[in-house]
Amino acid sequence: MTCTFCEWRCELDNGRHGVCRMYYEDGGVVKERFPNKWCTYNAMRIESLPFYHAHPGSRSLTIGTAGCNIDCQYCANAYIAKEDPKKLQASMYEFTPTELVRMADKMGCHNIVFNVNEPTVSIPTLLAVSKIAKKAGIPMGCLTNAYTTEATTELLASIFSFMNISLKGLSPDFCRHYLGIHDSKPILRNIKRLAAITHVEVTTPIIESVNDHEIDEMAAFLAAIDQEIPWHVFRLLPEYKMKEDVYPSIESVNLILEKHRRVLPYIYFHNFIGSEWVNTLCPKCRAIVIERFSLGCGGDKMGSYHCQDNTCPSCGYKIKIHGQRVDWNSKEAVL
Amino acid sequence: MSLAIVDVREWQNVLDLRTGKKRDDDTPLIRMIKSVLTKHPYPGDIDAKSNRWVTDTSLDLIDKYDPSFVFLSYTQQYFSMRFTQLTKAERQQMCDAVFAEVDRFSKETGFLTIVIGTGDMIPVVGEIDLSRLDGLAINSQWSTRYAGLHGISDKDKKYIGNIAEIERVVSKAEFMSLFKGAPGDAKLLPDFLAVAREGFSFKAPSLRRPVMIPACNAFIPVSTTVGDVKSIIDISQRIDGYLKNHKVALIMVEGIGVKDFPLPYKRCSNGMGWYSYEAGSSQYLALSTGKHQFFNYPIGSKDYMEDDEKAEYPFSGYFNTIPDNTLGSRFDGKSIAVGNRSMFMHTVTGTDISYECFARNLYNQGCMAVIHRQNKLCK
Repeated sequence: MTCTFCEWRCELDNGRHGVCRMYYEDGGVVKERFPNKWCTYNAMRIESLPFYHAHPGSRSLTIGTAGCNIDCQYCANAYIAKEDPKKLQASMYEFTPTELVRMADKMGCHNIVFNVNEPTVSIPTLLAVSKIAKKAGIPMGCLTNAYTTEATTELLASIFSFMNISLKGLSPDFCRHYLGIHDSKPILRNIKRLAAITHVEVTTPIIESVNDHEIDEMAAFLAAIDQEIPWHVFRLLPEYKMKEDVYPSIESVNLILEKHRRVLPYIYFHNFIGSEWVNTLCPKCRAIVIERFSLGCGGDKMGSYHCQDNTCPSCGYKIKIHGQRVDWNSKEAVL
Repeated sequence: MSLAIVDVREWQNVLDLRTGKKRDDDTPLIRMIKSVLTKHPYPGDIDAKSNRWVTDTSLDLIDKYDPSFVFLSYTQQYFSMRFTQLTKAERQQMCDAVFAEVDRFSKETGFLTIVIGTGDMIPVVGEIDLSRLDGLAINSQWSTRYAGLHGISDKDKKYIGNIAEIERVVSKAEFMSLFKGAPGDAKLLPDFLAVAREGFSFKAPSLRRPVMIPACNAFIPVSTTVGDVKSIIDISQRIDGYLKNHKVALIMVEGIGVKDFPLPYKRCSNGMGWYSYEAGSSQYLALSTGKHQFFNYPIGSKDYMEDDEKAEYPFSGYFNTIPDNTLGSRFDGKSIAVGNRSMFMHTVTGTDISYECFARNLYNQGCMAVIHRQNKLCK
């Protein structure tokens, strides 16, 4: 029996659980080993996940499960994503979809974002959550590596109305060595498809002397899809198997990015404290329309929102924003 | 105005600490601080060289700024014990290593050193999961003994009442009465505070699970160099007195309590009644201000509500003001602080200059120096 959730297309016969270790075969059906089990639930600013152009100012209930389908050498959540999912189960939380959506309400969250590991490893559970969340009027978003089959890509789009896709690198050599996958073609295909049907932001961690030479090519790829796609270029924070690696040079990476900002106006460069490249500028008149603080890995925050009805207050240009700006405490629950 | 200088390795930026906005200030003091930041990149919270970083950075700063008061925090052993399975021998090795650093600092500077252990650590016996209440339980991975309860139902109360691992549940009114809160103090308190029995940890909705947590440290060790003090809140006044005639270093050693403290010490109380401080900013503030800290940023509160766009001090963690009456802010002479205990040294010490690691959940993102006062010239 072949699992068709991701591009590995693992065979699940004879008790095998696939690359992600999260599925099994039962009577000709692919089933989850650990449905409704969650490694965390936390209230976080949507900008810190990061989403800069979706539901600005909102509070997100961030969630995750266990396992992943690719093997990034620099994984920041390796102690969840790389650990044997079975070993983690004793410390996981158990919430039904209804309970999880209720938790979002109790914590005053405007949306739910799957951000710890890869959502593709928990598709049936997330489908169930999305049905309840939709009824409750709570949008869902995710971070994904998009190493999914075409069918699963459509499923992801049916679950999540905003997504941040990791475009980690392009060359087969890079993909094999740093991600443990054959090539980036399925990911590029899926970015293109998802950008056409849902809100997409893209994140690229830059590893000095490894994938920085691909920035031009990645920029051209994104510009061909949508010049207003928000692109988060991350300075790699070396973790996991790359903990001893150098921190990339901020000046040289930004020098490369600067020339692309003329074509891709929503390029951000962050994942380090105090970054100057986290504000949104109007593509037309270059006025600052959204100000943010960069508090490094997982800590960004909105400072001021100057848009009026999602348009530039100076020239009236429509800024690409999914949803509306909301007040941080506007859904604070009265329990 | 307070300035923050962030250093993320090979790149530095000067910011207004209150607004978070970039600044172009370039003074001899700022240049000196930048050079020290460049010279001492932070090795990481659980790196074996982390405590050495505290000593080396502070010695360099002393050489360049000539302070009379130094506030240090050594924390690598606390992070390591908290999140890593260590043998008793490994823990002892870490304890020996951190006190070797304390000794090195003391010998090289000749300061009168007052050393405080923030409390013993013990293995986690079990977790208490309050995630399935009708109401909401709030706790964090850094405060595992206490959980704030918000909007709990009668069913929740019954459920909580049957959990043997919970030592007590205290209502907001009881808490206010016990700790003599003023009317405005109740604002941030949870409806109830649940207190776990020693060794039990409220399960925090975060990714890293602790393997050791602070014991219920009713008492903590204070080196005899401070003289006789009964309570954590008596120490700062004593230091004020010593500073009239001595150069003084206050050194916090995290995760070490009366069981393992190797220097001659006296026990001083670490809280009030059943309430004891866990290692963290409240404990530091109680020590630094000489006043108990039960109501500012109380445990179990929905502190995320305060973190809206209007909140000031974006680089100061959950602090949205800089506390007053701290040791550093009271002292007229020059003062510095250095610590590898995360981003609160500049809030709790109030020293002219503070150096701290900018690490979140053990992710090493660099360092931040804060200048609260620029009117005391470099050496």
